[in-house]
Amino acid sequence: MPSITYLHPDGESQTVDVADGTSVMRAAISNGIDGIIGECGGQAMCATCHVYVEGEPDLPPVGEDEDEMLDGTSAPRLPESRLGCQLKAGAHFTSITVRLPGRQ
Amino acid sequence: MTTTTTTAPTADWLDFGQLSVDPYPLYDRLRGESPVAFVPITNSYWVTSFPAVRSVQDPETFVTVKQTELGERTFGKLPMLALDDPEHAAPRSAVNPGLRPKAMKEYWAPIFERNTRQYLDALAAAGPGAADLKRDFATPLATKNLADLVGLRGAAVPDVTRWSHSLISALANFMDDPAIWDQLDVAKAEMLALISELIPYYQATPDLSFTSALVQAGFPYETVAANVMLAISGGMNEPQHAITTTVWALSAHPEQRAAVLADEQLWPDALDEALRWISPIGLSPRQASRDTEVGGVPLEAGSVVWLVLGAVNRDSAVFPDAAAFDITRAKQPHVAFGGGAHLCAGMWAAKWSLGHYALPMLYRRFEGLRTAEDRDAKWWGFAFRGLEEHPVTWDADRGTEA
Repeated sequence: MPSITYLHPDGESQTVDVADGTSVMRAAISNGIDGIIGECGGQAMCATCHVYVEGEPDLPPVGEDEDEMLDGTSAPRLPESRLGCQLKAGAHFTSITVRLPGRQ
Repeated sequence: MTTTTTTAPTADWLDFGQLSVDPYPLYDRLRGESPVAFVPITNSYWVTSFPAVRSVQDPETFVTVKQTELGERTFGKLPMLALDDPEHAAPRSAVNPGLRPKAMKEYWAPIFERNTRQYLDALAAAGPGAADLKRDFATPLATKNLADLVGLRGAAVPDVTRWSHSLISALANFMDDPAIWDQLDVAKAEMLALISELIPYYQATPDLSFTSALVQAGFPYETVAANVMLAISGGMNEPQHAITTTVWALSAHPEQRAAVLADEQLWPDALDEALRWISPIGLSPRQASRDTEVGGVPLEAGSVVWLVLGAVNRDSAVFPDAAAFDITRAKQPHVAFGGGAHLCAGMWAAKWSLGHYALPMLYRRFEGLRTAEDRDAKWWGFAFRGLEEHPVTWDADRGTEA
């Protein structure tokens, strides 16, 4: 089963097992993980599921809509910035670690 | 997982007349006594505390309310707001590109600016002794911006305002008042005649408007018509109220007004706080798709839940001293635009058209703009809340170059 590890700004970490097709955003919401809001439900209309991906996993490139929304994140955009709603278990990773920004 | 559940308390004391006059004391009592309460007259559970929002916004447990008579009578076919994913996603993803920040910056900004100038002149013409911010500025400007965003080429602004009111009244016509249906039928005939002309136009001449996006995506006439009417119903009242509420709040808090005027970067914060403080849309209805619980209260499949956005945004557990208007409060997401798949499609349009144009340009032009104290402002509503009349005055008109 794929898994996602969330690293909080205070150093705490939480790992959850998820079903194929579950996004990094949706998994945080359904597991009550703070630090991801996911205001628009995953349609790249907000930037409140901003995460920093750890390591250099082989992920699909940042999409056009995602790129546009990442330009409006509350925390600084870094090279490893992604929208959690665009990263799906199974299709894009089997295990992934993301750092949560201090604010969304 | 084992959880202790209780039966939902019943709030049969809610006075609906008083809710429209001033809902906030009633919301505070509800939240204090029972943040998930059954309200018999509405046959729904009212959710008034912020922590419950996440459970109600889970798209698998809560879906759109399957009471479709008013929606179908009003729109013909059900528009995207009345559908769940994946049916909802097809029209929604078609219109999203024209409503993202990039389209705002690169395409809509000059249109918002032009429209704002036009209605600043209308407000100036009314004069500081008689001007009403809603009638002379907020309503026509919100309508014109909406007409442009939707792509209602050639429609007269007062007609679009009337169409919007007719649709809103029809959607709330629970008493089946024939006069409301008659008014809707007149408006619908006019809207459908226009939409029939717009479809071939946008087939040949696409742009970033909402109607063009639906036409270009190849949706049939009924789908285009239903969603265009949805946008007309849902995109005028709220920005109109957001403008007057923000000006009213800043008039009541001169020190905050001074801070914004000294630093125009604060306009988005001022708008956002006004939207939280007195949210233009007070309710978001959802329906449980399966047995579940919210805030420890068990709900059977089929239960209708009203997420009371106006109350949730006043939850002091999340927004300290929530009743206070404070543009400097710590950033904390609110639910004035709803959330999840149905997050207001016009959210960025509202933030741009009002936060970057309508509000700053209003104060640049009229020195000392404020609520007029010698005439009465009139608040009303809880499902939709805002100023019905908002007399304003100013000290000097700096003119069209301001």
